[in-house]
Order: sequence, then structure tokens, then C-alpha cells
Amino acid sequence: METGSIEREIYVEASPEVVFEVVSSPEHLKQWWPDDARYGTEPGSSGEIVFGDRDAGGTVVALTVVETRPPVMFSFRWTHPAGETAAEGNSLLVTFDLAPSGAGTLLKMTETGFREMGWEVAVLEEQYRDHVSGWDFYLPRLVSYAAKLAVRP
Amino acid sequence: MSVPVADPVDDDLWSAIGDPTRRRMLDLLLVDGHGTATTLSQQMSVTRQGVAKHLGVLDRAGLVRATTAGREKLYRVDDAQLARAVAQLSSVGAAWDARLQRIKRIAEAIQRNRQE
Repeated sequence: METGSIEREIYVEASPEVVFEVVSSPEHLKQWWPDDARYGTEPGSSGEIVFGDRDAGGTVVALTVVETRPPVMFSFRWTHPAGETAAEGNSLLVTFDLAPSGAGTLLKMTETGFREMGWEVAVLEEQYRDHVSGWDFYLPRLVSYAAKLAVRP
Repeated sequence: MSVPVADPVDDDLWSAIGDPTRRRMLDLLLVDGHGTATTLSQQMSVTRQGVAKHLGVLDRAGLVRATTAGREKLYRVDDAQLARAVAQLSSVGAAWDARLQRIKRIAEAIQRNRQE
């Protein structure tokens, strides 16, 4: 039962430069993930992401940029205890790999560290699972379903 | 958008399964169907006392069920509770699916704007 990492791949109809910007900059990050994001984008830069309202019971989570190679790779660690240096064993490592593909970009995401640090983070994820439900989760499935229907003779 | 409070039962479940030694024990119990603190400690480089302690944690989280067999307790994996733990991890995967779909939408919108 290998449950220590999650891997996902998605094709994006945008250049690697654009996709890199979306996965790495705090301004874009908060559009697709937390409610707020503050961190420097240089390797080793630490900061935080916030779920909910920072001043009203929201959850503040540490984030440290590990490596940045525009526009092919961006990685960061998150969930390490505040004040601790992010390292293997106290945080989850998220890596985005970007490769040009046709007119767009093949984006690969890998998240590792579950085995090393325990699964407390999964509880955190569970709390914010409401992000998953709703149209932005089901619509893409509908689109791929529709595409399958379209190629039938 | 609702933000449900963490279920304390789930906290126990996750910390129970978060430890590599305990996951190894679950693997062994799944393969053999059952085991005792003694049989498990023989298969792992962990003392019988250490194994018994880990079994206690797994038991409290509902991941194993014990029956008394002679002098020792015989443990089996609780399939339903293990399935629940695995389902929660798949929800982490589902959360990434949703995030990547949003990344795709945002990047494609930026690309379209730049081309116009």
C-alpha cells in the first residue's frame, strides 16, 4: 500500500511561462488554493498560506520555497511547524514540473512526505475539502465525458 | 462555504496510521490475516513490548480488533476502519485534482488575454 505520495498530471493550453507564473506566484496561488498567501519566491524564502480569515479562526500554514527554475520547475515545502526550518520529516514537498507540449504545457504535480511526517496534514485537507465539491470539481469531468461522447462514430 | 471542524475521532485515526511502524504492522496483519504481539515482534525489529504499545494505539483508533486467544490477544485488521482511512487519503488526491483544474483555468484565461 503506497500512500506516501500523490501524483497528478494535467494538460494546460497556455505557455510554460504562464503556467509557471500561476503555480509559483503568491498572487496566483491564492486564486487556486488558500485564501491568502505571503512568501518570497526565491529558494529558501519562507512565508505562509492562510485558510479562512487570519484574524477569525483561520488556519495559518508555513510554506518555504525549495527550488525554482522558470519555466520548468517549482517546488515548495509546507505544513512544517512555525519557526522550524522546512526539511524532510516535518513537511510535505510539492513539486511542479512543466514541459512544453504542442501549443500548451504538460503540468505534473507530485506531493510527497506523508509517510515521513504522519498524516496530520490529511486532517487539515479534510477540513477544507469543501474546496473540492462544487462545479469546479465536477465540470472538468463532464467536459472529458462530453469529449468521449463526441469522438464516437 | 462551510469549514467543518476536525473530527477528533479522525485525529486518532490519522495519528495511528501516520507512524511507519504501525503501518508495517497493519501490512503484516493484512497478509497473515491475524497476529499477536509476539508473532508481530518476531517479524519486525521491534520488541514485543513496543509492538504491544503500537497495537494499543491501533486498537484505540479502531484499526484493529482484539480477541483473547489463550494467554495472548489475537489481533485482526478492521477492514471498514482501514477503508475509511484510505478514503480520507484519496480525498487529498481529489483536493489536488480540483486545484489543478483551477490552475488550468487561470493559466488559460491569462494566455487568452495576452493573445487578444
